Amino acid sequence: MQTHIISLLVEDHPGVLTRMSGMFTMRGINITSLTVSPCEKEGLSRMTVAIDGSEQELEQVRKQLSNLIEVVKVVDLKEDEAIVRDLCLMKVHVKDSNARSEVMQLAESYGAKIADAMLDSVILELTGEPKKIDRFVELMKHFGIKQLFRTGVTAIGRGVAGGIER
Amino acid sequence: MTGEKLKGAEIVVEELKHEGVEVAFGIPGGVLLDLYDVLYQDDALRHILMRHEQCAAHAADGYARVSGKAGVCIATSGPGATNLVTGLTNANMDSSPVVALTGQVPTAAIGSNAFQEASTFTITMPVTKHNFLVTRTEDLPKIIHNAFHIATTGRKGVVLIDLPKDVLATRVHVELHPKETFASYKPKIKPNPIQVKKAVEALVNAERPLILAGGGVISSEATEELRYLAEFLGAPVVTTLMGKGSIPENHPFSLGMAGMHGRLYANRAICECDALLAVGTRFSDRLTGWQLDQFAPEATLIHVDVDAAEINKNIQVDIPIVGDAKLALQELIKWLEKKRATDMGSNVWVQRIKAMHSACEACIRDVQREGASLSNMIIKELSRILDDEVIITTEVGQCQMFAAHYYLTKKPRTFISSGGLGTMGFGFPAAIGAKVAAPDKRVVDLAGDGSFLMTCHDLATCVENDIPVVVCIFHNCYLGMVRQWQELFFDKKYSGTRLGTTPDFVKLAEAFGCYGERVEKPGELKDALDHAFESGKPAVIDMIVGQEDKILPMIPPGGSVIGMIGTEQCKLI
Repeated sequence: MQTHIISLLVEDHPGVLTRMSGMFTMRGINITSLTVSPCEKEGLSRMTVAIDGSEQELEQVRKQLSNLIEVVKVVDLKEDEAIVRDLCLMKVHVKDSNARSEVMQLAESYGAKIADAMLDSVILELTGEPKKIDRFVELMKHFGIKQLFRTGVTAIGRGVAGGIER
Repeated sequence: MTGEKLKGAEIVVEELKHEGVEVAFGIPGGVLLDLYDVLYQDDALRHILMRHEQCAAHAADGYARVSGKAGVCIATSGPGATNLVTGLTNANMDSSPVVALTGQVPTAAIGSNAFQEASTFTITMPVTKHNFLVTRTEDLPKIIHNAFHIATTGRKGVVLIDLPKDVLATRVHVELHPKETFASYKPKIKPNPIQVKKAVEALVNAERPLILAGGGVISSEATEELRYLAEFLGAPVVTTLMGKGSIPENHPFSLGMAGMHGRLYANRAICECDALLAVGTRFSDRLTGWQLDQFAPEATLIHVDVDAAEINKNIQVDIPIVGDAKLALQELIKWLEKKRATDMGSNVWVQRIKAMHSACEACIRDVQREGASLSNMIIKELSRILDDEVIITTEVGQCQMFAAHYYLTKKPRTFISSGGLGTMGFGFPAAIGAKVAAPDKRVVDLAGDGSFLMTCHDLATCVENDIPVVVCIFHNCYLGMVRQWQELFFDKKYSGTRLGTTPDFVKLAEAFGCYGERVEKPGELKDALDHAFESGKPAVIDMIVGQEDKILPMIPPGGSVIGMIGTEQCKLI
């Protein structure tokens, strides 16, 4: 099992998301993260899908996605060939001024921003590679995370080719 | 923009006719009044009123499989559309080109749980190749053109168009007959020459080549190429259920259907071959059995399929060729001919094939074979009586496997069966579609008493529209295939499989205005069939068979192609 990131260029039609996610359901594959957004071409959207699975499952998914009529392009992004980012917003409990300064120090060392501050909590914002965010989240658990929001990964291929097109 | 404004419903009918549609199987409803109003005035598009939407979909499917053209079915919103779903799933799973039109509540009412509203678009998404929910009348020409394009190209399949009432009722100025297709839909049909050359190399070097033909061979009209290649290579041909008819089964190189209920020698050949050329098949579990390491263990596997997603899905292959079966076979033949080698299969192998073929054929010809069940004798008798032109459709279960195993199919598109989905009740409405597609041919549905009761109400459709198909029922008072499994693997505990008091099928036929006759001995079958065909009416022949008849040999659950049970009936060589 390994995390794979698939970048899709799809027609911006109603139902495309259902069609795409339905394909995963049909094949018994769980989506770990999904983002949808407009892209550089009008009328098209970009989806970034992360799944856990074997190479063989990935190959099957790639082909089945290509078979969907509204999918224009399927790109399999390898981690070392792509810039992968996730955005995280979390509300961390700070019980006293000690905790507050500790949280703020750690946030600074991770490059996280203080988005808002209350008497008993702070809202932190961090953008980065998913693994970096995982580590930061682990660290903040020590203080008590009240709420955690992550956007899920988005990714762009390095260089001209921009990932391996199948 | 010139000319007068057209109503959405008029646009639909104009575009259907432009796509070459001559007939549609359907049932109207409230939201389809505008469409049916146009159909009423139009003689060029024949509408056949069915008695259940599932039958409309199966009839369109049967029509498509016999004609090679897209079949069209129509159903209203809500229950009409949900009733279609089984038929659409069935067609899509067997890659049969069907275009379904469904009515929908007005766009403004969508999502309000309006009367007869169901989300047809989301319900049918996973069971179609593609579907559309039309929201603007102006989009109809492009959508309908693309629906037919998608249904009939690449790996063929089902496309559904959901038509809200207001879209059908609105009048707009619109350009008819667009040629534009979706940029993102480009099915790959031309095989990669490098892969073809690799395959040629493997076939030339093989001593025991074998061809496995699936439904793709028939769908792409590649049966002539298949036969030529088999003879050129000295390779026998085994088929899947869907591939039945891709080679005449009386051809000396034909070994019949392989798989779970296939012929012993078809499965043996798979085990013995050293190169397997699989064309237009998806290696379904009903073909391969469950122990995949025992499927063609010594062979270099070459897999030709138009759907790239089928490559390495169920079985790992050595040489994949993505492309249309006909084009791929033509390319293979071209390169093989350049090698100027003929009769490349070793003589020993060719002799073995011929011996295996003769053993099977002798078994089938021998109607009165000792120990044969009534079902067994009847199917052999049917194979003997019915000529090459007859189109056979089947229901699902024992009747289907008796037909697949023993009935000798000689021509493509004359054996129509529910392969992937295994839909009981398919055969009879499919026969209706088949007869409409080929009115000059005789059409016979080989049915079970359980299956036939699922869709027999459409006898009314046959009578009303003068569609004289003949239904031959293997009447054993059981859901026979499940009963057979209970007998073999569940200590004869016939849980939920005894049908008990079954109807008098002769009277049932007569009640509908059809011809009915009962047959209690195989010897009476020919006269009964003659009477049925001579009556000119839709007919039901009630064939009484043994309650505990079994279709054997078979691969038991968990088994492999080499481990068939019940081979006592087979002539061993």
